[in-house]
Amino acid sequence: MRIGIGISRQTDISSALQEAFWQAKTQLEEKKITLCLLFSSPEFASLSLLKTLHIYLPHTPIIGASTFGIILSSHIYRHSLAICLIHSENSKISVAKVQDIRKKSALIAGQELGKKLLEDFRGEKRDFAMVFCDGMLEEGSRLILGLQEILGTSFPVTGGSASDNLKFKQTYLYFNDELLTDAAVGVLWGGKIVFNLSSRHGWKPLGKSRTVTQSKGNIIQEIDNQPAINLYKDYFAKEIPFLKKDLKYISTLYPMGVYLEGEKEYLLRNILSIEEDGSLVCQGDIPNNSTIRLMIGTKDSCISASQQATEELMKEFSFSTLITKKIDIVFIFNSVSRYVLLRRLAEEELKTVQTTIQKNISDKSIYQSLDIPMIGFYTYGEHAPLKALYYQGRSHFHNQSIVLTAVGD
Amino acid sequence: MINIILLYNLFPWFLLSLVIGLAVILFLKMEKIRELNSYVTHLKKSLDEIDEQAKLILRTDIELNKTQEELDKKITALYALQRISREISKTLDETKIFAQIQESHLEDIGFEKALAFLWNEKNKRFNPILNIGYGAKEIESIVLQLDNNFYLKLMENNETLSSFSLADQQLNEKIKNLFKVNSFIIAPLLPKEGSQGFLFVGTEITDTLLTAGNEELINILANQISQALENARLFEKTWQAQQELERKVEERTIQLSSALEEIKLISKRKSDFVSAVSHELRTPLTSIKGYASILLSEKLGQLPLAVKERLDKINRHSDELARLVNDLLDISRIESGKVTMKQEILNLKEILEEIKDLMNVQLKEKNIEFSYELSSDAEYVLADRQQLNRVFINLVGNAIKFTPPQGKISIKTHSLENKMCQIDVSDTGIGIPQESIKAIFDEFYRIDNPINQRVKGTGLGLSLVKHIVEAHGGNIWVKSKLNEGSTFSFTLPKP
Repeated sequence: MRIGIGISRQTDISSALQEAFWQAKTQLEEKKITLCLLFSSPEFASLSLLKTLHIYLPHTPIIGASTFGIILSSHIYRHSLAICLIHSENSKISVAKVQDIRKKSALIAGQELGKKLLEDFRGEKRDFAMVFCDGMLEEGSRLILGLQEILGTSFPVTGGSASDNLKFKQTYLYFNDELLTDAAVGVLWGGKIVFNLSSRHGWKPLGKSRTVTQSKGNIIQEIDNQPAINLYKDYFAKEIPFLKKDLKYISTLYPMGVYLEGEKEYLLRNILSIEEDGSLVCQGDIPNNSTIRLMIGTKDSCISASQQATEELMKEFSFSTLITKKIDIVFIFNSVSRYVLLRRLAEEELKTVQTTIQKNISDKSIYQSLDIPMIGFYTYGEHAPLKALYYQGRSHFHNQSIVLTAVGD
Repeated sequence: MINIILLYNLFPWFLLSLVIGLAVILFLKMEKIRELNSYVTHLKKSLDEIDEQAKLILRTDIELNKTQEELDKKITALYALQRISREISKTLDETKIFAQIQESHLEDIGFEKALAFLWNEKNKRFNPILNIGYGAKEIESIVLQLDNNFYLKLMENNETLSSFSLADQQLNEKIKNLFKVNSFIIAPLLPKEGSQGFLFVGTEITDTLLTAGNEELINILANQISQALENARLFEKTWQAQQELERKVEERTIQLSSALEEIKLISKRKSDFVSAVSHELRTPLTSIKGYASILLSEKLGQLPLAVKERLDKINRHSDELARLVNDLLDISRIESGKVTMKQEILNLKEILEEIKDLMNVQLKEKNIEFSYELSSDAEYVLADRQQLNRVFINLVGNAIKFTPPQGKISIKTHSLENKMCQIDVSDTGIGIPQESIKAIFDEFYRIDNPINQRVKGTGLGLSLVKHIVEAHGGNIWVKSKLNEGSTFSFTLPKP
């Protein structure tokens, strides 16, 4: 596998694209490009961007998403544009998109995306799917559910939701020469590759356990037979208007945690909005009778969770005696909540990931360089499998998490 | 067993003991339950207490996080401000100053919309010069609705305005509606040079809380912009002035050089003309003089005295005219470079003795003392003998002419640096008025004095001298005091 990555901070769309593309292209020399990933700040999201890139790469599948910030190695690039070109001789790749998710319902859309991804994959070994979806989508978990109904309930899914400049207004997805909203795009990865996925958040439960006594999909109506919002009213000693005003903090810093038996961490659910009747609209499903806790994140726990996630990611490659198990690239899908919590320490987290990867490969002779390319973006929601045996590796929609995906061929 | 009980009629006893036993067990169980209950109550209490603590932690934590975010924002804003300042202070082009303020900077300072206006005195309106976050049509409508007098007043008072400090709620809402924002800060741009204006920044985000700190920050930014504008304008002014100066110098140079060309041309024409005319004059003059001489020789017969006198006059005037023509011809030859000066080593003493002989009659006539004194290192010069003679004849001739009887004429030489020799011809004559000194070497210039009115002259002598000296690579000048005398000095190369 050969990787070429380019980044540009120029404000002019076409010059930014040119700069990033040629940086990436020269690293690949004349090798055939298997896949192109495009991440950019929302201000770059335009049809002309994609049309031009498509002219550069008429026969290469292109997928990508708009983001609050691009992650490249241990750096965060805001108001930028990044292109990642991948050449892989042993990978089998197929890309697909699905549009009008709200009209179709997330579950049906997920199924459609799964079917489309499989179209070109008959008889081939498939390994994992990387999916990006609209960050404003309220039912992210149903999309993953629908996808898995087609690809297999324990089929690993990674990726995340597109984001914008923390305005939470409009996010974009890129698919070949198309600019999409209310959509999801995905790449199905197979062939003779090695890969591993891991995710963590580092948020800790606080206070008493509660039970969801009435919920519908991603809306929690009652907790312990009381309007769901009472939980937050009680904990923060604030009335609804004030809670609404502080929703940004509450949602990112103090999400709800759903207890999952056997899992090391709680599954986190952000609150998107507070309804008039006191219901809480979450980003992702919360089933009835779930045991939930209020969660709290600290900078330390957040960074150490990232380190644990990286250790877990690399464990598979570290203990392997097989010489072929070499990774070529690590994708990072990191929640903007972590950025909001860490702020000026945000790059510290990425540095931790980078050094942990380097530590794990430093004694392996198959690596010519310790600098494994790392690329990804800040998300409004993450996709990753749960590890506990009980869930048979079933992927979930997460919040507040860092999701790492290592691939090699 | 039952038989035994029945047999001994012990049933009541058995029953009693059973009841007692059960009661004891029940009692013990009750105790246990009570104990457990109190334990559970205790646990519950602890849990509730912990939950209360959790609440405390959360409430503190959210405040902490908010404060930290505020702090982070401030730091980020300061960094952004520093970056902008650095960029704009480097810019000396007015149009580029505002281009340095980018959306990302603005976002770091906490705003997503910004406008800057400069007052155009001619059109009596504010011209937008910076726009972040507005469409062209939106700006147009804002400009149309701007209350110019209000903002001019603001600028006049150097007053900063913000949505949180403005007491007039009606005005506050008006500004918010006009700029379509929820919070705003307006700061005047007051460069000391050129047109002034104001900077507007605003945000639509409702949870942005502006503080006095934000206002100060924007004020600093406005000041930086004003300073940069001022610098750019002063630079532009200086630069333009310099350009103007350079242009003028160039223009004048062209004018002068074309004038010079013209003068050269005129001068050449004059020389050509003089040369041509002189030649044409010389031929008839020769015949006039020839015929006059023949007549005067009386070979063609005796002449009456009156005729003889008139012929004498013709002859004399013809001689003068011939000299004049010759001088003119010489000047134009030297000017046009047609005459090359011979480079002979000449003994000045010899030459001066010759001159003395030549001038002896006139010197005697006026009883003028003639002397010369040659410095030992300035006895020889490199010059054309015939031409040098003419120089001395002219200078000494003039000296005799303008020196009253019993006067003195003295000639001195001394050596100069760069292998030159200076020769001074001094007299005790009437002197030259100061205003004439400059023009004295010009052709046909004659000083207006009684001697000149009486004695005829061509006005070409000194001009010819000057030409000869300069053709040798020397200089000539004069120093004179009225009624005391004059000194003509000239330089010639030494061998």
